[in-house]
Amino acid sequence: MRFLATVAVASLALSGAWLGVVEAKSVSGDRVLVLVPKVEAAKLYSQFLDSLTSRGFDLSVRAATNTSVALQVDGVRIYDHAVVLSPESKKLGANLSVRDFASFVDDGGNLIVAASSELSELGRKLAARFGVEYEKRGTAVIDHVAHLRAVNDTSDHTLVAAIPSKAASPVLSEQFALAQSSPVYFKGIAHKYELSNPMLIPVLTGSRTTYSAAAASDANKSASPSISLSGKPVGLVSLFQARNNARVAFSGSTALFSDALLSHAAGANKQFTTDISQWVLQEKAVLRETAHRHYLASTGQRPEHYRISNEIVYEVDLSVYHDDAWHPYNAKDVQFEAIMLDPYIRTTLNSSESADPKTTATYHGDIKLPDRYGTFTFRVNYKRPGFSNVDVKDTVGIWPLRHDEYPRFLSAAYPYYTGSLVMAVGFLALCAVWMWSAEPKTKRAAKHKSN
Amino acid sequence: MSTSAADIFGRLARSYADETPLRLKVIDTYMAFCVAVGLAQFAYCLLVGTFPYNAFLAGFGSAVACFVFAANLRIKTNAKNAPQFAGTPESAFAEFVFCHIILHFIVANFLG
Repeated sequence: MRFLATVAVASLALSGAWLGVVEAKSVSGDRVLVLVPKVEAAKLYSQFLDSLTSRGFDLSVRAATNTSVALQVDGVRIYDHAVVLSPESKKLGANLSVRDFASFVDDGGNLIVAASSELSELGRKLAARFGVEYEKRGTAVIDHVAHLRAVNDTSDHTLVAAIPSKAASPVLSEQFALAQSSPVYFKGIAHKYELSNPMLIPVLTGSRTTYSAAAASDANKSASPSISLSGKPVGLVSLFQARNNARVAFSGSTALFSDALLSHAAGANKQFTTDISQWVLQEKAVLRETAHRHYLASTGQRPEHYRISNEIVYEVDLSVYHDDAWHPYNAKDVQFEAIMLDPYIRTTLNSSESADPKTTATYHGDIKLPDRYGTFTFRVNYKRPGFSNVDVKDTVGIWPLRHDEYPRFLSAAYPYYTGSLVMAVGFLALCAVWMWSAEPKTKRAAKHKSN
Repeated sequence: MSTSAADIFGRLARSYADETPLRLKVIDTYMAFCVAVGLAQFAYCLLVGTFPYNAFLAGFGSAVACFVFAANLRIKTNAKNAPQFAGTPESAFAEFVFCHIILHFIVANFLG
């Protein structure tokens, strides 16, 4: 009986563990470190943190002052994601440095970092490491037109109502693309962003009336003379995706994630923070290549090496992860390249019938290899903003034809064959005529005499 | 003495027919044949394109080389040039045959 009970408990535990794996919505793991100034401060963000928990994440809420908090132990990540909601702390955990965070991201960890007007030097340097440059300490984003309006004109002009870009993006959900989308409330510090940086996605920026200036007590009344940043270049929330597909979000506002703004009926903070956190924690827009193959069109086999001008078939299967499952990724701009220093071929692959249409989309190309021998790289380098990078590379040898492998007895060459045969026959005829043509003896005698 | 063009060519032809030895005439015919075969292949190449270029080179080169060998044979066996050359017409012919054998090996190899 006791034995049976043990078995039951063990199987329950096993199934529980198995279920846990299935329930984890993130592709990269479910261990989340949440850093707040004090553990009690986590209550301010309870809705946001609860939504993470309900999405299957295993949250470890720690105070920033807790010196036992580390991101990596012996070079191994002990968390899959980190949410830093403690912008004013001069030190984080076990004196975590910018380098520690960078190495965490290099190791595939994802980060959400929120800032505030009183951002510490550490937070500023951390952001700068990822190409996000925060405004001076003590400044705030102000908008005298677009802000959260209070009933009795006591509205705070630093509580900006920003509307995300309407452009379709894999980051934000469809509701933000609607004409009448709700604003996202933001209270905090602005940052500069480089549009030329391909790794950075400014997902929330200021409007024409937004500016960044010293947060004076009378910010509501008059424009501060020291406006350093205004209009669209005012970065509010920016996303960063590293080359290893690790994702980082920088929000100039911790209030953006707070219960006070999340529960605001007129605002879209709840949806916005959900979208941002789903993106950063690898729950959506995660692209992957499940398989790729190339083979000779004639035989359907992949040889050890190709020959010049071979007709080949290249196929790659792509899946995108969202809503807890892998789905086929459909696009019209997946390109194949055959590279030897320079791309010799760059062609768009067409979608074709997939072996597993529920989870993968297959892209197919009929390709004629270049009339050039050497070591080529077959590459599908697919990088699109918001999606994880897919870079599929194969090093393939393309050999020249052997001396005896060239096509022979071409119909176009028959005149030349005839020509050379005729010359050989002509030579034999000349020899025959020469040898049997009699010459008068006298001539030879005369010749011998002259010698 | 008439100087009309027809007369000049007539005299040239007559003197060629009378004074050129038979063997040289044979070689001359052979050389004309080489030119004809070479020109025919060149014209075909202009018409069709250079695609089997190696075959074209082999066929055309064969005609050109045969022409050159025949010209050499003609120079060496011409009795008027005899003082300049050490060998006999037989040795010149042997060289001609030797060169031809090598040439046709090369041509056959190159023809593809």
